[in-house]
Amino acid sequence: MKEIILKTNNLTKKYKDFIALDKINIEINKGDIYGLIGRNGAGKTTLMKIITTLANKTSGEFTLLNHNDNDLTETKRRIGSLIENPAFFPNLSAYDNLKYYAIQKGITNYKQIDESLKLVGLDDVIKKKFKNFSLGMKQRLGIAFAILDNPDFIILDEPINGLDPIGISDLRDTFKRLNKERNITILISSHILSELYLLATRFCIIEKGKVVKELSKEELDIECSKCIVIKTDDVKKVSIVLEKDLKTTNYKVVDKEEVRLYDYLENIETVNKTLVKSDINIKQIRETGISLEDYFKSVIKEAK
Amino acid sequence: MINIIKSDLYRILKGKAIYIVLAVITILSVVSVVGMSPGHIGLSIGSNVDMSDLEMMEEISSAKTLGEYREIMKNNGSFALDKDIVGTNVNLYYFFIVIAVIVVATDFSNKSIKNTISSAISRKEYYFSKLLLILGLGTFLILFNNYGTYILNLIINGKAFSTPLLEFTKLTIIQLPLLYGIISLLVCLAFVLRKTSLFNSISIPFIMVVQLIATGIINLFKLNADWFNNYEIQLALTKLVNNPTNKYIVSCALLGIAYIVIFNTIGYYAFKKAEIK
Repeated sequence: MKEIILKTNNLTKKYKDFIALDKINIEINKGDIYGLIGRNGAGKTTLMKIITTLANKTSGEFTLLNHNDNDLTETKRRIGSLIENPAFFPNLSAYDNLKYYAIQKGITNYKQIDESLKLVGLDDVIKKKFKNFSLGMKQRLGIAFAILDNPDFIILDEPINGLDPIGISDLRDTFKRLNKERNITILISSHILSELYLLATRFCIIEKGKVVKELSKEELDIECSKCIVIKTDDVKKVSIVLEKDLKTTNYKVVDKEEVRLYDYLENIETVNKTLVKSDINIKQIRETGISLEDYFKSVIKEAK
Repeated sequence: MINIIKSDLYRILKGKAIYIVLAVITILSVVSVVGMSPGHIGLSIGSNVDMSDLEMMEEISSAKTLGEYREIMKNNGSFALDKDIVGTNVNLYYFFIVIAVIVVATDFSNKSIKNTISSAISRKEYYFSKLLLILGLGTFLILFNNYGTYILNLIINGKAFSTPLLEFTKLTIIQLPLLYGIISLLVCLAFVLRKTSLFNSISIPFIMVVQLIATGIINLFKLNADWFNNYEIQLALTKLVNNPTNKYIVSCALLGIAYIVIFNTIGYYAFKKAEIK
């Protein structure tokens, strides 16, 4: 059974008449890289702020690392976060800023500061003052802060904003390594869908404070990939024909009625003929596949 | 709580503000001691010169140099200059503002408070560790100012213008509750306003505006000004060093404690409910 890191139950946040979060129910398991997707003002940051106790909930509840939301003082020590823009003391250097928080967190081994800075590629500017950092460097320092205390769970709000393509790629690798090697669970939000797609293992689409879709990467692949959708009452037989006659293993059995084929995209007729020839009852065969952006738009449209 | 105080001290000692504050306090102290006249703001008036002594006033106005002025003052007879300087301790209010800014308001303005609240400590711990640190630094400034002045005065002007150490210590202690009340007011403002610029624009003129409004109301409605003259913060600090009665000392201490409780209650609950932006 998977260990639950974060579970929300009808989490709601209201600002006077405006509902920022409307009965949010999500579950993040240990080892997940959970991507939060949503437009500006959808409620992503509000959700993260409530989880990190920067904002108070209006109703509902959540458990974080098996602790109820009314008792998070000790639990918070096991999480690292970067909410909205990275914020540090402008007149202190990168090292001094992290040392300030290291003292605060009771970290006595200051080598962790050097390790964190190295991990985000700031090890050569440790004496540079925060006010002289570029936006990308500030983001990196924010991430170094989030991972400073070897947390079990990190919460990152738009962490790749302002980074150049190489910086984005480096950070993606860093996040993946942290997730894989240190088994750190990550909650991350971003507007850059393609980047989030390359990183996250699960996705949550949020719109106007409501969760409109929660799906795994595999499910998202299925939703978005360009492929031939074969609806049939005998997926087993379809699999055999695809492998034997069409010599391909590049397909996926979605459920007991649907198979998705990622080859022969230009030869849908050949596929159809071969399957029919093998006496398979084809209910539907069609080409599908949309971009991440189009998929996101369609989900948002459906939610409306 | 200890960790947050330690981390703030680390940060503050790395900055320049605290050293500037200490330098300015030292300069003011030197100026007051060498000039043999405590600096005042607002309502207070000097107590070391008898304004009705016209002969002396004339003598003072004829003094062309600081040396001449000092000579006149010395010949005029002994008086406790250090006590008079401590009587103007409301001046420390402006240094307490600096302390409140570097400990609390900066954290809000830089938004670095998010890092602390989201992953290290609770709001309760945050509030009370900041309060303790400001009170601690405030106490350090009071002692630095008072005893710095005491020693300087003893060296430069001699025993004739000094108070016995024990009495001076007593004067320092009886002022503390009111000074802690002022510090609590500033902590409250910092947590309610949560922005350095806003905090500065309200806290800097605060005492003078309160004085202005209070005297205005008293004059307008011909009210009895006894209570105001006894317990207005600046006047009270001055009166506390000029042979106060025990009853007056106790009532000022109670007033200081009331300020501490009221301002910190408001500050804490405003902070507890606030969203950290």
